[in-house]
Amino acid sequence: MPIEQEKDDVMARYLGSELSSVNSQLPKKRKTLSQLLHEEHPRVCCLDGSEHFFRIDELRYLASILDDHEREELLLPMIIEVHSGMSDMLVRSTRGGDEGAVEAKVFANVLGMPASMEETGVRIYRSQLGAMRRTLKTTTQYVFTL
Amino acid sequence: MAAKIRIARPTKIELARLKRRLRLATRIQKIIKDRLSILVMEFLQTVRESAEVKERLQKEYEDAYKALSLSLGYHGYAPVEQTLMISEMPFSLHAATRNVAGVRLPVFQMEENREAPQAVLPAGNSSLLEYTSDMVRKCLSATVELAELQSALELLGDEINKVKRINNALEYVVIPGLDITIKYLSMKFEERDREEVARLKYVKLLIEKREAYAY
Repeated sequence: MPIEQEKDDVMARYLGSELSSVNSQLPKKRKTLSQLLHEEHPRVCCLDGSEHFFRIDELRYLASILDDHEREELLLPMIIEVHSGMSDMLVRSTRGGDEGAVEAKVFANVLGMPASMEETGVRIYRSQLGAMRRTLKTTTQYVFTL
Repeated sequence: MAAKIRIARPTKIELARLKRRLRLATRIQKIIKDRLSILVMEFLQTVRESAEVKERLQKEYEDAYKALSLSLGYHGYAPVEQTLMISEMPFSLHAATRNVAGVRLPVFQMEENREAPQAVLPAGNSSLLEYTSDMVRKCLSATVELAELQSALELLGDEINKVKRINNALEYVVIPGLDITIKYLSMKFEERDREEVARLKYVKLLIEKREAYAY
């Protein structure tokens, strides 16, 4: 019996660590597009200590579809919230008075159709995710929530 | 696979602990399933991109070889070889990582150094050789792109296997094991409660009988 108990504790610890490690790739602090455009090697530090690199082509593409004010507002990487068991995802915006307006503009350009905006951010669907990730590989990141 | 009942102490505290652990395991399984679906989607997308780049690379190599053979035919083997020996392509390759759902994937960024002096071609200002050089540059860029995609494929594949194993372990071993243990403990406590009720009834009967005899 004590051996079984020990096994159980190991499992509980493992499950706990698994939950915390799932989102360890998130950036410590996000940067604005205009900040990143001025860096030679644009990147952000992640919670697990690694670095997330941004492709210059992608940043230039984003810069081409946004004006100066929007470049100051757009925080990168854009975080895509994946809710368990749901077919849609949310891209939250934390800056600007009009929540998610810049992100919505970016997605509308990428997808070629208007993105659905909500109070909390921009809603995108799984079928749209492929097209979006294909264009914005390094400027978007996932976060898993319940 | 038959789930195993594992109990250290058949107590109510243990039951509460097991229920808490079951909730945690279910939550983690949901997140892991999401992560798995995202990883599979990324993997399939990388496969598609990789196929496209391979096709493009093949065509570019074909063009480059055609251009090279034309140059060889026009200038002769020796001058072209001499050119190849001394010419250099001024570029730098920046290697970094990007994160996709917890997997660190490589990113290679090829930057051409336009300020560096271009090599002088001994064969003179040959348009054929310049064209060949352009073709080779394109090939190099596509090769770097393909290398990035191939290593991403390997890493994503490994991670998918790992996540699948965790998901299967949770789905077929951990959660059924916890479920069955909780069920067993609940039944055991219900049985204990029923025994307790029966015992109390028996004691009450005994007391009543004793009181009846006393009168």
